Amino acid sequence: MIVCAALVVPPDSSVYVPQELAHRTVGLDYGNGTAYAGLQMLEGAVPREAVSTCAAVLHPGERYAALMRGEFEATVLQEPWITVAEKAGCRLVSTTFFHGTWVAGPDLDPALYAAFLRGVARAVRRINADKRRYVSHFKEGWAADDPEVQALTPDDFDLGRIQLREPTPIPEDEARWAWDWMASWGLIHGTFDVTTQINRKVEREAHELAFAAR
Amino acid sequence: MNAMTIEPVSAFSSLDVLVAVDEGLFRAEGLDLRMASRESRDLRSTTEGTLSSPVTNQGRLHDRGEATMFQG
Repeated sequence: MIVCAALVVPPDSSVYVPQELAHRTVGLDYGNGTAYAGLQMLEGAVPREAVSTCAAVLHPGERYAALMRGEFEATVLQEPWITVAEKAGCRLVSTTFFHGTWVAGPDLDPALYAAFLRGVARAVRRINADKRRYVSHFKEGWAADDPEVQALTPDDFDLGRIQLREPTPIPEDEARWAWDWMASWGLIHGTFDVTTQINRKVEREAHELAFAAR
Repeated sequence: MNAMTIEPVSAFSSLDVLVAVDEGLFRAEGLDLRMASRESRDLRSTTEGTLSSPVTNQGRLHDRGEATMFQG
């Protein structure tokens, strides 16, 4: 699935464009894709030395609550809290999308992974045929106890932020760019080596098994 | 039916997986997909970490052999 991440400011913020977040503290859930998406949105707008962040909680609902309490001037949210924030008058000053990537050990059985890929591909087709029907899933899990999320109706969701694509092998270029970008921030060290990061044998076997009939 | 356990997922990153579980699409492919649960000992706050030395809960169940895959 493709994750939507939005850089959000409270309703009373003086920030309207991401450039105005220079030297202002942005709360990020360090170590997670959303945080890296936040860094990428910020550095697309301001010089790196003007990017100012602090550690924020992982739970997007709690991060949103911290934003509204004024603990930081902006944060990055995912659905359904992007929708909650918009309904509360918050502004999205930047939005981006990134791939959620599955990680497994070297002992992953290609046949099992192929069955997983087929199931996911079937689900993607069903959801894309009628996204509105499936937005109720955003009200489950972490969001089950959140009254603001529970108050959302299916019509509240912007379906353009819900993007799904059938699984494909990981593009080597994109993996390398992501590695190099993280290394440039000092988040990882060493040189990208595709053979240690992507098990092409298992990946190829699984995709062939899953989608051979295409 | 072959079983596989993954770490827990959320709709914002895995709506497809949740729908596939709900509508029996994995079972139709011969896969009994299970989602592991995190215990309190698996949950550390990201606020304990820093940008260059983050604290993340992803992969802990995998590292203990309790899940085959997790979303990175």
